Amino acid sequence: MYQTLISLLVLGLLWGGVFLLLAGGLNLIYGVMKVVNLAHGDFIVLAGLMAFSLYEIGFNPLVSLPIVALALFALGGFTQFGLLEHIKGSGPTAELRTLLATFGFSYVVSNISFLIWGSQFQSIPFLQGAVVIGGIALPEALLVCSFVAFALSAAVHLWLTRTKHGKSVRAVAQSSLGAETCGVDVRKVRFLAFSVGSAMAGAAGALLICLIPFQATSGGEMTVQAFTLIALGGLGSYVGAFLAAELLGIAEVMTQYFLGANGAAGIIYVVFVAVLIFRPSGLLGKAGRV
Amino acid sequence: MNMFKLAAGFCFVGAGIAVAAFGSGFVAQTLFQIVLFIMLAIGWNIISGFTGYVSFGQVSFFGLGAYITSIVALQFNVPWYVGLAAAGVIAPVMALPLGLIMLRLSGIYFALGMFGLARILQLIASELEITGGPMGTSIPIADSPQLAAVVCVSATTLVVLLTYALYRSRLGLSLMAIRDDPVAAESIGINTFKAKIIAFCISAAVGGIGGALYVWNIGFVDPASAFSGTIELQCVLIVLAGGIGTAFGPVIGGLIISSFSTYLWLNFPLEQQAILGIVTMFVAIVTPGGVAGLFANSKLWKRQSLWRPIEAGATLSNVTPFRASGQDRKPILTCQSISVHFGGVRAVNSVDVTAYRGEMLAIIGPNGAGKSTLFNLMSSFLKPTAGRVELNGISIVGKKAYTLPHQGLVRTFQTSRLFSSLSVWENILVAANSRYGKKAEAIAAATKALVDVDLLSHWQDSVDQLTPGQQRLLEIARSLVFEPEVLLLDEAMAGMTMHEIGRVHQALKRLMSRGAAVVAIEHVLPAIAPLAARVHVLDFGTTVAEGIPAEVMRNPLVVEAYMGREDAESEKQHA
Repeated sequence: MYQTLISLLVLGLLWGGVFLLLAGGLNLIYGVMKVVNLAHGDFIVLAGLMAFSLYEIGFNPLVSLPIVALALFALGGFTQFGLLEHIKGSGPTAELRTLLATFGFSYVVSNISFLIWGSQFQSIPFLQGAVVIGGIALPEALLVCSFVAFALSAAVHLWLTRTKHGKSVRAVAQSSLGAETCGVDVRKVRFLAFSVGSAMAGAAGALLICLIPFQATSGGEMTVQAFTLIALGGLGSYVGAFLAAELLGIAEVMTQYFLGANGAAGIIYVVFVAVLIFRPSGLLGKAGRV
Repeated sequence: MNMFKLAAGFCFVGAGIAVAAFGSGFVAQTLFQIVLFIMLAIGWNIISGFTGYVSFGQVSFFGLGAYITSIVALQFNVPWYVGLAAAGVIAPVMALPLGLIMLRLSGIYFALGMFGLARILQLIASELEITGGPMGTSIPIADSPQLAAVVCVSATTLVVLLTYALYRSRLGLSLMAIRDDPVAAESIGINTFKAKIIAFCISAAVGGIGGALYVWNIGFVDPASAFSGTIELQCVLIVLAGGIGTAFGPVIGGLIISSFSTYLWLNFPLEQQAILGIVTMFVAIVTPGGVAGLFANSKLWKRQSLWRPIEAGATLSNVTPFRASGQDRKPILTCQSISVHFGGVRAVNSVDVTAYRGEMLAIIGPNGAGKSTLFNLMSSFLKPTAGRVELNGISIVGKKAYTLPHQGLVRTFQTSRLFSSLSVWENILVAANSRYGKKAEAIAAATKALVDVDLLSHWQDSVDQLTPGQQRLLEIARSLVFEPEVLLLDEAMAGMTMHEIGRVHQALKRLMSRGAAVVAIEHVLPAIAPLAARVHVLDFGTTVAEGIPAEVMRNPLVVEAYMGREDAESEKQHA
């Protein structure tokens, strides 16, 4: 029992890396747009299924990852520049319209995935072996994917904190008006944030399909999963997002083991509602005021 | 509603029932589909359009209704109408505890929380035996498609009438006020949580009946179709296309979108979702007001104010202030060494303030001195970290903010917080409704308040047609409706003309003459100096000085707080 718990814990920590990448893109987009991209999960699924098709014609998933991420970068850019940028006005009304537009878009993306790949669950059999460390068997695929996901999340974090473009993205996230008065091209930043965020979704999808099977309609679930994570971490907080990813990873692995697949699918929503009620500003967030 | 509209509606419904009853099976089925979605969209519009809580899980109630009917029909073998009625009763009952949890959320959290709720319910339905598990179960089907269609059209007509009644009711007005500004709604004594719960349950009842009709019509229920995302998408799209938050938008949007979607379902079943998704995006990006938005200003469509003011000079003879007034100088609102800290910031630090009956207390101080925070403490919008706040000798710490107006304490806000989608008259009426139980009393009080601030001639205008000064007057009038014992005015006279300030002074004098206390924050001292009996000066969250205005203004500490140390010293040298 003790051994099982330890190995579940380690597995959960590894899953945390994948979750972090899965939600990182949404966090970036939310920060800048103040709107949740409800098509985020469908982007992840689309990317995963694209990686699946590339695998079928002989590509290694780690090779298809940059290809898929690039494709999603383009899709994200189109979504922002071709669609959402045309929503006029500002404030709550414009945010509501953006939200509803992404709501419609999520159906467009998932339906297109459905038309191309059908409704079967797909997965890439990648590195099927396991490494035994200290008596704990760790699937190689999870080790590699988790490592790549952590590395990519760290790279984006460095981009945000160390480069000029990244800094303007953070500036717009904190105050769009303030950034504009400092000469930041806000339109460009929104475009950049949406593209990079979508590319992260793309990379996450390519990794995720090596770990679990999913189908064209799995997107909604993943959007909620990603949103739960950033809500749990406190919107815009990077340390918080990391902690939340690890917590959710452990919770998911544990419930999967003890309650089965449906239990694991349900736990995410329970965590979601519980977080919002008991810690509405996230794990590390501070209480708001009137 | 005038006779013409009534007759048109009557013919419309009559035609619908005739088509349903005498059409072919196919026609009846198509009509059933279209009308069912109108009903579902109306359910969504009540919580998301009227109340402003956008939900992506309205299909939860549809699924609940579907399963309630199927379980009742299979377990108890009752006739179909009992199954329908059961869904209409049990769905809202089940929604009540769900609403108590979900409505603590707002914005995107609520929207996605509801989406999660639908998924949880779907998982539960696939796990349980009584629901038939993941593969679903057959239930007794309607005798004929024509019967199902007739029942659906009739039920939807009832729901439309019910929505219209809600739209034209006190509750409907409160819901729209909550949608526009929940904080301002609390400040005029509306129990916003309760109102939202009621809207949530009504919305659940409508969705539940829709689900019940659906399973009765096809004779089968399974988790995937009972909690289908396509249904959710259509509800949202219909309301969006028709006009969100309007009474008849969902009906018009439903006729258009539902016909289109039925056409898609018959000809492009695989691509239906993508096409509806594209239409949703188009509507959200290009025509956010929907069909109703296009005709928003036409006379046929414009929202008419609820009720109307009394024509001639109104009297409030039947309305009395909260308590018998007295001219003796008694404390009514006392704060004893109250403090509030935000992290390390001591926004208000051990302040003692007392407001006396019949006089005005002015609170002044530089920006960031903690004046508005002090108001939030006095009106229970914030809970103090330490100290006591008493109204008439009773502690109000920890009381819900909406209860205070009913005990005689009303506040205004530093920035204008009017209900932007309501007319000038309704902005006052919504407060009057919260204060007075009877319609006649509410109308009289609201009319009187409008006359007090000279806005009666503007009663039908929308609030953005008013000048900034008039908007502030309207806010003051909204609080005067309560005939409060304590009135907290937060920079209420900023941006007013001298004439308007004069109006406010008259109203405040009248209020104080019958024993009420006024506490006013002002930057512009002349705006209140003639009325203020005492002045309380705050800086960095602490009391700098207090006393009668003339004395306080000569206090060197006050001069320093306003002008800085050096200026104060040079001023001393000049003197």
